[in-house]
Amino acid sequence: MDLRRLLRKAVLQAALGLLGAMVLWPPAVPAQEEVTSSIRRYKQRELSTGYYEEYEVKPRRQRPRVRAPEVIRQFTPVTPYRPGAAMGAGVRSRLEDSHAGIQFYEQRRCEECHVTEATHSRTVRGNLTCRQCHGGEPIAGINYYYSPMNPIRRHAYVCAKCHEGASVSFATYLVHEPKAGDPATRKTFASLYYANWFMYLLIVGTLGFFILHTLFWMGRETYHAIREKRKPEPREEAPPQEPQNE
Amino acid sequence: MNDPVRIVRFSIFDRLFHVFIMVTFLIQAVTGMGRLLYTTAWGKGVVNLFGGYDGATAVHNTVGILMLIGFVIHIVYVLAKVEWKSWRRSLFDADSLLPRRRDVVHLGQKIRWFFGLGPPPAFDRWTYWEKFDYWAVFWGLPLLAVTGLPLMFPLAASRIMPGWVLNVFVLLHRAEALLAMLYIFIIHFTIGHFRRGMFPMNECMFAGSVELEKERKEKPLWIARLQEEGRLEEVMVAGPPRWYRVIYFVFGYSAVVVGLYLLLNLLIYRSYIEWH
Ligand code: HEC
Ligand code: HEC
Ligand code: HEC
Repeated sequence: MDLRRLLRKAVLQAALGLLGAMVLWPPAVPAQEEVTSSIRRYKQRELSTGYYEEYEVKPRRQRPRVRAPEVIRQFTPVTPYRPGAAMGAGVRSRLEDSHAGIQFYEQRRCEECHVTEATHSRTVRGNLTCRQCHGGEPIAGINYYYSPMNPIRRHAYVCAKCHEGASVSFATYLVHEPKAGDPATRKTFASLYYANWFMYLLIVGTLGFFILHTLFWMGRETYHAIREKRKPEPREEAPPQEPQNE
Repeated sequence: MNDPVRIVRFSIFDRLFHVFIMVTFLIQAVTGMGRLLYTTAWGKGVVNLFGGYDGATAVHNTVGILMLIGFVIHIVYVLAKVEWKSWRRSLFDADSLLPRRRDVVHLGQKIRWFFGLGPPPAFDRWTYWEKFDYWAVFWGLPLLAVTGLPLMFPLAASRIMPGWVLNVFVLLHRAEALLAMLYIFIIHFTIGHFRRGMFPMNECMFAGSVELEKERKEKPLWIARLQEEGRLEEVMVAGPPRWYRVIYFVFGYSAVVVGLYLLLNLLIYRSYIEWH
């Protein structure tokens, strides 16, 4: 019985120690390499080979059931997904060479200038390079009429290189997602914005409530246990046990 | 040494479902978190256990489908369990897991008790937090399935929904999974096992039975009801054999250790979690 209590105490203290270490542990940031993308580092060599442009485009003959609001004009003006709303700022978006006249462009890597695009999960996790989608030089602006990225042909010219049978609907997936918590996203991608808020409140609400609930509960139980120990009651199961080294 | 009297709490099916959800949930948590934190050295290490990113994805997808099958089987089991002849009683009596008005009352009493303003609530068979545990899984699984399946088959999914819906689904899937992990690894573990009086391990979900005297304190109304209906003798069983206890102690504690390890790394690498 004595050993068991001791063991219990040891485990408890180890757990508390672990918890303390967890909180005090320095953040893992310094342990990480200081590169914009540790995954793409070795892929730089592939950049100029043009290898990825040799894929054939092979659209399947499937009638699209879902149409993209940006591509096919719709009668309803309200759509939940309107990338056009954020396009105003992109002055180079309609150029044939979106980097025309940008100094030192040749000497630099995509992720140095396009930092946010380079960290997006789709490109990082899929282990894709920018050029696999954006192609070789010159990189056309997204809205340049003859750009492979133009929404009217993006599905066939870009996505279908890897996703056989990609449809217009498929190509409306946003590879470079806007930040869901960003207020600007409410205009450009409302459903993402509200989904984010919904989940955020759900998580904070559920965890907040139950963590407080658990803490108060354990506090109360501890309080009762201490009080019970102070005045030994007759209905304790194992009476001859008080002289513990507490 | 005379063993304490024990009464049945969970049937063999209940326990099998619980073990099933434990194993599949932890596999999903490991493969999911490894990929979520793929940009970190830790994430890559975890993913490499499954043969790289693609391997982890394959495991995640397969186990996801298994979970879905398990969920369907569970629903069939639950529907078969209801006595449809007297469905009103069967669905809404105290043995049912459906929420009742009394659960809210109990919560209020419990909060009062936290501040020393009243006695603790007298529970029947299921307490409100146990019911919440059950229903949290019950709506979490469909949400994860509905968002996960389209991500597994994005091309097929884009034929019945616009592609940008997948962006929303990624977010929902991730957020729900994080919520589930945090809830299980913090709250479920604490209430179930780390609480005073439960500490080394709450064995009822593995043993299937509980000690009568302990339960008289925790859930007095249940015991009283059993006594009133004269069924107390009926539900008495022998305790679990020693070898079985050893097995589930090892199994249960491995699960807890995996969970806490994931929680630890979730906290350490929190700044790398891509929320959007
Ligand atoms: C020297 C910095 C620099 C580098 C390196 C660079 N870009 Fe750009 N890029 C720019 C600037 C500046 C713009 C114009 C931004 C705007 O119009 O909002 C631009 C525009 C673009 C656009 C068009 C955006 C639109 O709205 O249509 C694409 C696509 C693009 N870059 C892709 C790439 C890729 C892929 C690489 C790597 C091969 C790359 N860039 C490398 C600076 C750079
Ligand atoms: C899976 C294909 C894919 C990959 C890989 C990819 N892009 Fe894009 N990119 C797109 C698409 C599609 C668009 C059109 C708008 C959108 O979906 O966000 C785009 C748009 C852009 C734009 C225009 C501004 C914006 O954010 O919408 C820039 C700049 C850009 N990409 C840079 C990059 C860089 C830099 C990389 C490499 C780190 C990269 N892209 C990798 C598909 C891709
Ligand atoms: C160079 C090859 C390549 C191109 C081009 C490409 N993808 Fe992908 N895509 C991948 C790979 C590889 C994966 C699987 C990565 C993963 O599981 O995370 C993937 C997965 C996806 C998914 C699954 C969603 C998820 O989170 O798992 C979607 C949606 C998607 N791509 C959309 C697109 C769209 C839209 C385009 C066109 C703009 C595109 N892809 C172009 C290689 C590509």
